[in-house]
Amino acid sequence: MDTLLFTQHNIFMLLQQMSVFLVIAYLFTKSPVFRTFNIGDLRPKQMIILYVVFSTFSIMGTYFGFPINDAIANTRAIGAVLAGIIGGPALGTAVGLTSGLHRMTLGGFTAVSCGISTTLEGLIGGLFHLYLVRNNQQSKLLSPKIAFIATFIAEVVQMLTILATAKPYTEALALVQVIYLPMIVANSCGSAIFVSIIRDQKSMFDKLGVIFSNKALRIADKTLSILSKGFNEDTADKLAKVIHHETGVGAVAITDREKVLAFQGLGSDHHTVGITLTSPETIRAINEDRIIFVDGVKKQWKCALSDKCPLGSILSVPLRFDNEVIGTINLFEPKDKIFLTMNKTLGEGITNLLSNQLLYARYNKQKSLLVEAELKLIQAQINPHFLFNALNTIIAILRRDSDRARELLLHISNFFRTNLKRKSDLATLEDELDHVNSYLVIEKARFEDRLNIIMDIDSKLLNIKIPVFTLQPLIENSIKHGISDMITPGTVKISAKSIDGMTILAIEDNAGNCGEWDSTGLGMNIVEKCIKSICGDQYGLEVECVPDERTTVTVKLPERGCRSDKSTDH
Amino acid sequence: MIRVLIIDDERHAREEMEALLSETGEVEVVNSCENAFDALKAINQHRPDVVFLDIQMPMVNGFELLSMVNQDIMPHVVFVTAYDEYSLKAFEEKTLDYILKPVSIERINKTVAKLKELLVTAQPVAFEAEEIKRIPCLIGKRIKLIGLDKVEFVSTGTRGHYLVTSEDEYYTDITLKVLEERTNLIRCHKQYLVNMDFVNEIALLENGLGVITTSSDGSVPVSRMYLKKIKSMLLL
Repeated sequence: MDTLLFTQHNIFMLLQQMSVFLVIAYLFTKSPVFRTFNIGDLRPKQMIILYVVFSTFSIMGTYFGFPINDAIANTRAIGAVLAGIIGGPALGTAVGLTSGLHRMTLGGFTAVSCGISTTLEGLIGGLFHLYLVRNNQQSKLLSPKIAFIATFIAEVVQMLTILATAKPYTEALALVQVIYLPMIVANSCGSAIFVSIIRDQKSMFDKLGVIFSNKALRIADKTLSILSKGFNEDTADKLAKVIHHETGVGAVAITDREKVLAFQGLGSDHHTVGITLTSPETIRAINEDRIIFVDGVKKQWKCALSDKCPLGSILSVPLRFDNEVIGTINLFEPKDKIFLTMNKTLGEGITNLLSNQLLYARYNKQKSLLVEAELKLIQAQINPHFLFNALNTIIAILRRDSDRARELLLHISNFFRTNLKRKSDLATLEDELDHVNSYLVIEKARFEDRLNIIMDIDSKLLNIKIPVFTLQPLIENSIKHGISDMITPGTVKISAKSIDGMTILAIEDNAGNCGEWDSTGLGMNIVEKCIKSICGDQYGLEVECVPDERTTVTVKLPERGCRSDKSTDH
Repeated sequence: MIRVLIIDDERHAREEMEALLSETGEVEVVNSCENAFDALKAINQHRPDVVFLDIQMPMVNGFELLSMVNQDIMPHVVFVTAYDEYSLKAFEEKTLDYILKPVSIERINKTVAKLKELLVTAQPVAFEAEEIKRIPCLIGKRIKLIGLDKVEFVSTGTRGHYLVTSEDEYYTDITLKVLEERTNLIRCHKQYLVNMDFVNEIALLENGLGVITTSSDGSVPVSRMYLKKIKSMLLL
């Protein structure tokens, strides 16, 4: 047998053995241990697992080899180099040393050389790891090309080590001449194929992850707004439909603490909405506030309602609201189907998400209630300056004219009562003017001849409805920021007319204190907001100011007044 | 008797305060005014011991009024207000007292007792005026507030005090002395204050006199006494 033929023979021998080796490698990547690995970010526990796995591979490489001239042609290098590339120099060296020491125990004239070279090979893999990580090319850690090159170099180094250290040299040279080609080819190819197996497996898991994430996001998106309308049969039914459609499980049931709110899917003929809870798993999920899972394999779920129910497994997740269980979401699979882990995780995730949504919905509702209450409060608030000045005026008038003082006190109580008793959003213009009148009688007494009032009200408009607190705050603005800042007598004109198919209320003062009107923003805004929200967006306020001459606030309202859906709620 | 001036823009409030103060028997109400302009005149004319002063008044409020009063004749101040405790807090240390409307006779008695003691021991007036920012001027029957940054110079004559801006002249009741103390206007003559920002040129005459020409060609005399100061301010 000439050397070339022998070499070819050896290549095929080694490749054959490598195949067995790769099958084992493939099986490893299928194992659950492998899935948790995130190459490039390994934790100590995972390093230990990798050390054991790769050392085993490397030692197996020795055993699968075959003896030539008192040495062993083998695939030991793969485990050591790959350990180095994947786990770094420490792991590579450790695996190389372990497997090298093992090789030394088997003896032969290359025992020591192989021990040293295997350790070196692990180190070489590790150097590749360091190089890639330092250059931010972690993605290439699983590149078959890199694995090929690294192993190639490692094998060349091994050959050189044998030549340098194995005695006698002539025998070592003869051996290397025979094994260098098959060893280098088999190990380099083996490493490359091994890495590509690992890589394919990884990308498959990543793809599954993407599908899972997409599904979760889609469900989140579709359910996001449903629960903001509350947790009831209607919203539960919508939720159940979305979850059933997206997860593709056999059936979905949503319950509160006592009964079924919604059911979608298999067995809906006997799992009807409104029936009291019968499934012990669901009841336990509520009582113990934890997820109950019956997988249908080790233990079957049994429907308490019908013997013919096709469902055989259940995941029951408690739905929490503010740390209290308010119901459950249940996912079912039929007896002939396995409950996928993915669906189990989705079910738990969705329920968490929904719990958060419920909280968020309540927060929003409370927030808007608060804003509403605040607005009402501001509207009903009496300007304290007005109150104390009014009382001071009445006390002064009491000295000379007790009848007028009594009359003023009646107006002040009418004003306050109206302010406090406002229950609906709307009042007739007549009622609003009555409120305004009480206010004006008091202000007139305060300012006497400094305040003149002109009323121009179309009596046909007295019965139309307008938002409460529309006129009085605007008139108060006119007096507070206009008339009261004038040295000479001032006049407020109040008019209500029908113009161009609209009801137009106007409040005009002759102060023209334009700068001051900027500070009236909040009060005006509230009036404007109320009009727009009750009467429609095309209505509202307009302010026109001519400096030192006049300020006119125009209120545009519907011709026949406003109508409110809310007026009956309060 | 304590000589009191009442200042409040509401008639009934003034009348009530007058009635209450009379009831104490310790007070002579020298006048009562409905705005800061009348009040400034009345203070200059009557030199009251005390003013009972409302804060919210048209155009010029109580604080601003005080900034226009000559410190020599600054009366003791009792603020009277319906609901301004916040703004009063800042003035609490500077003012003698403050009273909230509506006012009870007991409260007035307390204040008057305090005032009597102050006047007997001749305590100095606590209120120190602020800087003036706007000057109220009479135009016909209207009052206009002129910002100081518009005033080129102020002159006084037999007709009274006049503010001169690039557009017009305005009559004011505030004395040159007050304006000199509480604004950045500079005295250049017994009868003139000038705003240095508007000085366009200064001509030096014989006898150590000078004439300032302002941005809008107004001419302001500089007397011997003030020429050196003016020159040094112009870095001459």
